Amino acid sequence: MSFQKCLEILVCYLPSFLLGIRTTLLVAFSGTLFGLLIGLIVGGIRAIRPDRTASRGKRRMKKILDILLRIYIEVFRGTPMMVQAVFIYYLVYSNIVRWDKMTAAIFVISINTGAYMAEIVRSGIQAIDKGQNEAARSLGMSSFQTMESVILPQAIRNAFPAIGNELIVNIKDSSVLMIISITELMFQSNSIAGTTYRFTETYFVTAMIYLFLTGTSSIVLGWIERKMNHTRTSIPQSDTTFSSISLASKGGEDS
Amino acid sequence: MSMIEIRNVRKGFGALNVLDDISFTVEKGETVCLIGASGSGKSTLLRCINLLEEVDGGTIRVLDQDLSELTDVNAYRRRVGMVFQQFNLFENRNVLENCTVAQRKVLKRDRKEAEEIALIQLEKVGMAGFRNAYPSTLSGGQKQRVAIARALCMDPEILLFDEPTSALDPEMVGEVLNVIRELSNEDMTMVIVTHEMNFARDVADRIVFMDRGIILEEGSPKQIFDHPKNERTAQFLSRVLDRDI
Ligand SMILES: Nc1ncnc2c1ncn2[C@@H]1O[C@H](COP(=O)(O)OP(=O)(O)O)[C@@H](O)[C@H]1O
Ligand SMILES: [Mg+2]
Repeated sequence: MSFQKCLEILVCYLPSFLLGIRTTLLVAFSGTLFGLLIGLIVGGIRAIRPDRTASRGKRRMKKILDILLRIYIEVFRGTPMMVQAVFIYYLVYSNIVRWDKMTAAIFVISINTGAYMAEIVRSGIQAIDKGQNEAARSLGMSSFQTMESVILPQAIRNAFPAIGNELIVNIKDSSVLMIISITELMFQSNSIAGTTYRFTETYFVTAMIYLFLTGTSSIVLGWIERKMNHTRTSIPQSDTTFSSISLASKGGEDS
Repeated sequence: MSMIEIRNVRKGFGALNVLDDISFTVEKGETVCLIGASGSGKSTLLRCINLLEEVDGGTIRVLDQDLSELTDVNAYRRRVGMVFQQFNLFENRNVLENCTVAQRKVLKRDRKEAEEIALIQLEKVGMAGFRNAYPSTLSGGQKQRVAIARALCMDPEILLFDEPTSALDPEMVGEVLNVIRELSNEDMTMVIVTHEMNFARDVADRIVFMDRGIILEEGSPKQIFDHPKNERTAQFLSRVLDRDI
């Protein structure tokens, strides 16, 4: 492998690589954002304990909802995203609507990330001492108001490292979405390698680009985290909280 | 009209009977101190009044409403304030916000009004100077005073205290008790679970002694402390009063 050649490929195919980078970032960022949204809703619902004064019907509904959400989480964490991508893409394409591949890609990565985020958010919520919940309720706040203005902000803050980690994971794992031929970085690299026949050099460039993207994100996320801790030095992060959160994230499972 | 009327209340956790046929009333403006060994069911009783727990039997009427027939639990809860042993301040909000968030969400007060009311209450507990501080930077005594102000901001008609000074270092107990004493002087209706016997004797209109889920004895502080009728009351008092010295 020659570095000279790597550089040549990078320069020569820069527009293709840039398109790949753009698509990868678009998919990874929107997947993380929508995933977080899904995670907040699903994790929030999972963490709510029905009031002791709630009616029997409400309690039963919550039980059923819990089972459905649990199935969603297990299915999407228990199957490869590559399989999810082809299956969902073709399922919708041939039965419902001829959707565009980019939409499909963002849809798939979002619900996949949502399954992980739900667990991150849930354990983040459960790490918040239940006394604050009772205090809010004793002031007359509803369970939704309590969740939204007291519990969730703290859960998100505590879980920020794990949430940020999902972005890094998505930058890398969006590569499997090449299976439905969107122009993300891996797909572009395959075409470049197919044209140049310099497989080693091309994929070396690809790896370096991924490393650059994840490294930069890492630095930015770390900066935001420090900034957050600086403005409010208030939330003690216990070791147990942290490990339970990172266990729920993709990164924690891989290792 | 009795503010709180508890009749034949029973409550268990699984096989454990925690409240066993409890009856008592609290009149408007009265300060009632609930004393008794730990595990006797004092917290559970307070939590039932606030609907953090549900009774298994009997009735609780508060502010002329039967709690089992409430349609709006949240509207009820805001009229009955609760102060906890562990303070339970909102860690993500500063002192002022701790006192305004429920006013704005529940009472729909605008920010300006909520802050004015919060500052009046914080002033009262001597914490207005800390309005921008976050809970983690406060001492236990300061946190508890903020928690009391936070409850007062909702204009409660009744205040429930569950061992408000038990988690405090000894030197901070006084500042919190003084705030409660002042509320008692203003004829706030209060039920206070406490192990501070000198305080109870001083501030209570009535003492209720609980033992293993039942009320063994109740009466004026003088009656309970100086002439307890029940032997177990006497035993309990001699134990805790010994420890006080
Ligand atoms: N949520 C609960 N689940 C099971 N047991 C409980 C619960 N809350 C309290 N208890 C039990 O009920 C008894 C009375 O508790 P509590 O009301 O906290 O007493 P006190 O406040 O007088 O110390 C204790 O034995 C306690 O272990
Ligand atoms: Mg207790």
